[in-house]
Amino acid sequence: MTKRIFRTIFYVSMLVLLASALILMVFVGEYNQKSQQKTLQTDAVYIMHALQEEGISYLETLPKGAERITWIASDGTVLYDSEVEATQLENHADREEVVEAQKNGTGNSARYSSTLAEKTYYYAVKMQDNSVLRVSITSLSMLSMFFTILQPLAIIIAIALILAGFLASKTSKSIIKPLENIDLEHPEQSDVYDELSPFLRRIAAQQRMIGNQIHEQQYRQREFQTITENMQEGLLVLDTKGEVLSCNKGALRIFGMEHIAEKENVYNFNRSEAFRHCIQEALAGRHAESVMEQEGRTYHLLANPVMEDALVAGVVLLVFDHTEKADREKLRREFTANVSHELKTPLTSISGFAEIMKNGMVKSEDIPRFATNIYDEAQRLISMVQDIIQLSRLDEAEETAQKTDVDIANIVEDVAKRLESFAQQHEVTLQTTCDKAIVRGIPHVLEEMFYNLCDNAIRYNKPNGTVQVEVQNTANEICVSVSDTGMGIPYAEQDRVFERFYRVSRSRSKEIDGTGLGLSIVKHGAQLHHATVEMKSEVEQGTTITLHFPKEV
Amino acid sequence: MRTRFDEQLEQLHVELITMGALCEEAITAAMQSLFARDRSLVKVVLEKDGEIDRKEREIETLCMRLLLQQQPVAQDLRTISSALKMISDMERIGDQAADIVEITENMHDKNFEIDSSVHIRSMSTEAIKMVTQSVDSFVKKDLELAHDVIAYDDVVDQLFTTIRSELIALMAKGGADGEVYVDLLMIAKYLERVADHATNIAEWVEYSITGVHGEMDGGEA
Repeated sequence: MTKRIFRTIFYVSMLVLLASALILMVFVGEYNQKSQQKTLQTDAVYIMHALQEEGISYLETLPKGAERITWIASDGTVLYDSEVEATQLENHADREEVVEAQKNGTGNSARYSSTLAEKTYYYAVKMQDNSVLRVSITSLSMLSMFFTILQPLAIIIAIALILAGFLASKTSKSIIKPLENIDLEHPEQSDVYDELSPFLRRIAAQQRMIGNQIHEQQYRQREFQTITENMQEGLLVLDTKGEVLSCNKGALRIFGMEHIAEKENVYNFNRSEAFRHCIQEALAGRHAESVMEQEGRTYHLLANPVMEDALVAGVVLLVFDHTEKADREKLRREFTANVSHELKTPLTSISGFAEIMKNGMVKSEDIPRFATNIYDEAQRLISMVQDIIQLSRLDEAEETAQKTDVDIANIVEDVAKRLESFAQQHEVTLQTTCDKAIVRGIPHVLEEMFYNLCDNAIRYNKPNGTVQVEVQNTANEICVSVSDTGMGIPYAEQDRVFERFYRVSRSRSKEIDGTGLGLSIVKHGAQLHHATVEMKSEVEQGTTITLHFPKEV
Repeated sequence: MRTRFDEQLEQLHVELITMGALCEEAITAAMQSLFARDRSLVKVVLEKDGEIDRKEREIETLCMRLLLQQQPVAQDLRTISSALKMISDMERIGDQAADIVEITENMHDKNFEIDSSVHIRSMSTEAIKMVTQSVDSFVKKDLELAHDVIAYDDVVDQLFTTIRSELIALMAKGGADGEVYVDLLMIAKYLERVADHATNIAEWVEYSITGVHGEMDGGEA
């Protein structure tokens, strides 16, 4: 800024200076010349008259001055010269001013010296005797005049230079100062040149826009972070080299990493075949899925390439914990296999008996026996189907059940009454001791649970055994325990009896009817009521199953 | 800015992880073929062994190129030289896995039952765990884990001695096919070797981190 202003000032002053110097020189020079010529002419006339009066002696008495006086005879020989010996000069007859004077009476001419530095002005007058008197004066030419004033001019230029610098810095400072005082945070409030206000308004608008955008970005970022950090699934974003750009807490937890370094390679997270395969496929631009096992848990991997202009720019990897789903699927598969197997056994018998009868291979007296067999198997089938229906109801009930206050003691008494004759058949005594206990639950489910428990206790009892049902109402919970004096369950199998269709050593319980679903129903019902099931059992001593219903606080 | 050298070192790291993972998978599959009598796994293990051999050559080439072109010093030099040593141990683990499946392939033809009193299952679990942990210690640059692996070698050695006496006792009793016992003894020996290689890997991990190699610098030879 200062530089530019300085340059402008300097150039302008220089131009003005040079122009005025030039004009001045021309005018002054011109005027000077004219006045010199006039003096020369008058001088020449004076000298001519004096010469005619007094002759050459007058010339010799004249003092040597600025003017050079030459007297030239009519044939051109120099008679006298005030500066050089007349004899040394050549004939002057052909000189321009002399020729002119011979012709017109007066003549003049101007000639530059050989160096152009001086200009000599001649004036010649014709005397009565046809001789010519010439007076000349030598003055500096325009050019040399210019050279003589060059020095003072240089001094003035130097002064102008200094002055221009000084002024320039001062001006630029005064221009810049308000600009420097603009508060860029709030440009609209600063008071500067009017010419700048559109800029300032524009800056202010852009600042507001940037502010809004940053704010929005931060909001998005927070939103994204909240989502990714709180989700259970692992999320990894990789670049094309397989380095982790971003990863959430879920991913760190799943892969057992405490922290990640910058540009951590993804293979540091995991190196299993499924994982590597997914990453490689995705880096090659293909979608990939696979299942990975790690520390007893099953994970589902989903890798997707991030494409930019048909080139892979990175990979997004999602990791789902699939353990529970996989377990459930396994259970379901087993259940289906078991159901078909269990249903097929009685059906095969029924169909077998019926086939024999159809072929007429049965004597008429044997028909009732066969019919009984068919009836028994059919009953077995029915009870099994009922249990399965019950179980699937329980599965559904989880969402739909309406819970009411139920007196467990009542239900237990009812169940005991219903099972009275069944117990007698098995020569088992059924005893109940019930506290009054109200539980929030689904009556028919509770009934089904207790029925199954008691039914089992009787079914797997020994003759002359007892079944003891107790309902206890304590401060924290309501316990319902069913103890029998039956065959008991081996320790190794105690966990498994709650599985659907699981029956303790089939050979042993073959003679005892049962669907293998009873305890499964109990367990399911207990879950619906947030109750826990506890089992104590000793082989040949008996089994106690206790249901703990927590009291709601 | 990342130099080409850093990129190559990172590539070496990834290749080593991949090779380590292949070793784990090979030895796990080999033992699975014995316990689950899965004949299809034999082919899988042999393929993995082939891949491990290819990886060894690849990594070797990469290491040589790094050494010659970049002339690394200090930590980088240790990383590369220990990588060169580690891959030969890894390659040996792959070979042992292949040797094991060669035995189990023969065993598949025979009807045998591994006596539950023999500790071969737990030995296999421990040896595989050592391989996994040695690779882990490399991946995480975990000095403590490397020390654990080195110390754990004794457990596997002890298991081998146990299995040996168990098998001798069984053979003395007669009973089942003696060939099965000999095969099991050889598998146990291979597992013991695998554990030794895992120990070596852990030692090289230790060297690459600290610059001190347990055996070279005053440890027991």
